[in-house]
Amino acid sequence: MGWEYSEKTKQLFMDAVQGKPGTHLGEVENPDGLGEHGSIACGDALRFTFRVERNDEDPTQDVIVEARYLTFGCTSAIASSEALCAIIERGRYTPIEALKVKNSDIVEYLDGLPKQKIHCSVMGAEALESAVFNWAQRRGVDLESLGVALHTGGEDEGRIVCKCFSLSEPYLRHKIQELNLRTIPEITGAIKAGGACMSCHHVPGGLQDLLNEVWGEGPKTLPLLTTTPPPVAGLGPPGVSPEEPAGVLSPYQFAKKIEKTMDQYVRPLLQKDGGDVEIVDIKGNLVYCALKGTCAGCAHANQTLKMMVERTLKEMVDEHIRVIEV
Amino acid sequence: MRIVYVDNNATTRIAPEVYQAMVPFLTGDYFNPSSMYEPAQATKKAVDGARREIARHFGNVDPSEILFTSCATESNNTAIQGTAKANPSRRHVITTAVEHPAVLEVCRELKRSGYDVTFLGIDGDGNLDVSEFIRALRPDTLMVTVMHANNETGVVFPIEQLARLTKETDPSIVFHTDATQSVGKIPIDLAGEYRHVDLLSFSGHKLHAPKGVGALFVRKGTPCRAFMVGGHQEDGRRAGTENVPYIVGLAKALSLCMENHQEEEARIRRLRNRLEKALMERIPYIQVNCRNAPRLPNTSNVSCHYIEGESMLFELSREGICASSGSACTTGSLEPSHVLLALKVPFTAVHGSIRFSLGRYNTEADVDRILEVFPEVVASLRVISPYWDEKTNSPVSDVEERLGKHH
Repeated sequence: MGWEYSEKTKQLFMDAVQGKPGTHLGEVENPDGLGEHGSIACGDALRFTFRVERNDEDPTQDVIVEARYLTFGCTSAIASSEALCAIIERGRYTPIEALKVKNSDIVEYLDGLPKQKIHCSVMGAEALESAVFNWAQRRGVDLESLGVALHTGGEDEGRIVCKCFSLSEPYLRHKIQELNLRTIPEITGAIKAGGACMSCHHVPGGLQDLLNEVWGEGPKTLPLLTTTPPPVAGLGPPGVSPEEPAGVLSPYQFAKKIEKTMDQYVRPLLQKDGGDVEIVDIKGNLVYCALKGTCAGCAHANQTLKMMVERTLKEMVDEHIRVIEV
Repeated sequence: MRIVYVDNNATTRIAPEVYQAMVPFLTGDYFNPSSMYEPAQATKKAVDGARREIARHFGNVDPSEILFTSCATESNNTAIQGTAKANPSRRHVITTAVEHPAVLEVCRELKRSGYDVTFLGIDGDGNLDVSEFIRALRPDTLMVTVMHANNETGVVFPIEQLARLTKETDPSIVFHTDATQSVGKIPIDLAGEYRHVDLLSFSGHKLHAPKGVGALFVRKGTPCRAFMVGGHQEDGRRAGTENVPYIVGLAKALSLCMENHQEEEARIRRLRNRLEKALMERIPYIQVNCRNAPRLPNTSNVSCHYIEGESMLFELSREGICASSGSACTTGSLEPSHVLLALKVPFTAVHGSIRFSLGRYNTEADVDRILEVFPEVVASLRVISPYWDEKTNSPVSDVEERLGKHH
């Protein structure tokens, strides 16, 4: 993987490494807000501190005047931390206003980040949030009563499945179950996984494999056709639903019942219009039919078979029957 | 800026002699070796000659036991999937947790399709436990696939011993080794000490041949089906028109490696040892991974605590030094290298690894340059790290607390 960083990202990183004046590297002594995100085990960690100009009458009107960071991480993690501090200081925000700074603002400030590095900007936003929470505690501000919702992101370790949003296999498994996610679009909608580069969708060990494992399904391959007929309801007068006490029909009886139902209910209707239907074969629950007379070549042939023939057979014989046009 | 290339486990520069050997087949002698006319016979002879030359370097095995492929990944896929295909009744595979993805992912894919796969772990020095290996062998074991030398740490596994143990337990079990990192660096006698190895993979670009050519040794009688199916090339065991210039280059490259093998090995080992010793002296909180295990002479994998590898690489790269790292941000996934995880490198250092892999064209001056630059890089990144105190040049006093918050 080469470096696809913007000039701005590289510059901010180099300034920090070289300790140029004007960077925000460091730590505020006795900070008013301290937030950390990530961990050394996860590969990046940010310690973010800020100092406010206090408003003694109304702490919610405190203004952040100084922001500093210490970062363990890659080039873009360090540049993102620098960007975060610069954005916060430039805006002269109150801590609550600062919460409006999102990871997308950091990405913009950096003139973009490679897709797989977006999480570096997320780390900045998360550390900011936790620092504001810390400020609120110190200053006795009840964020909840002000309608400020804070979510504390759970970091799980383990194999990363979604690289763009840095989501691990254990975390995804947990969320798939908890939120009853059944498809990849559902996962993406709920927790963003697989929403950026999409490379984790169908790779080995990817989102589809996780879905299959969690929900106990095999890989999505073509289902095998059943070659033995399913248990079917016993013969009964028309109109009696298959919920009635049922026995298992032999293939001969099953076929005979289909034929009888066709003769009795389906063919007379078709014949009225000068058409007809012929059973070509029956394999398991698959009934192969050919339309005859005016029905053959009729634009509605498929409709006729599906709607009329199949529905009648499902109702009268067995709900598993599928009719296939020959 | 002078480039110091110390990433020879990733790829190597094409040797000028190799390039020269290839040129005729890139220009005038372009014929298809399968064709009947006279000029094509010359290209066929070139391929046959290369095959004999390579066979000779593996202890004079039969040239027909060498198959040419496009790369080691293809060789590994052929070996593993081809063996599985040929022996459908056995469903157990033994491998290690530290294989290259070209083996590891193939094994995981077998596992997903219903095979039982044993992934052997390693100890903190990087060694396999031989008794654990023996326990893993089962009556339904299809094959063993264990790498010869590790690409990240350089640790050399005792393949000759593991192969013998396998065959003495059950001669039907197929033994494969991915020798991509060791061929050209360690002499391998497939007729002698390594005679129990059935399949052996390697590629050209790790030994100063170009990318895009590899080989697979297939011992006669080994049940292994073709992976690439098509024409009758390689006796139907690997279809596809022979890549004549690259095959010629591969043979030349291997011969060059073996010619001066002993002196080269000693020279490179000296460079590596000097580098490691000096880094240990100049950088606090650094560790040389797997230094107590048998290792390739060219590989040095070091971990610096409390800083991250990708940013180190970035800084090294700005100074013209090309190395690699097993940190999360460079593996293409977001977890650190599976090898360092298997080694149980402490979590404060697992993201801070740098691999220097030396090669034929490295000199004392290259080592000097690394020693000039690298300690500075480490120091400047530690200034930024939340876990490091610049003033005392050691971890911050409350480092345990800072680390513990997330554990």
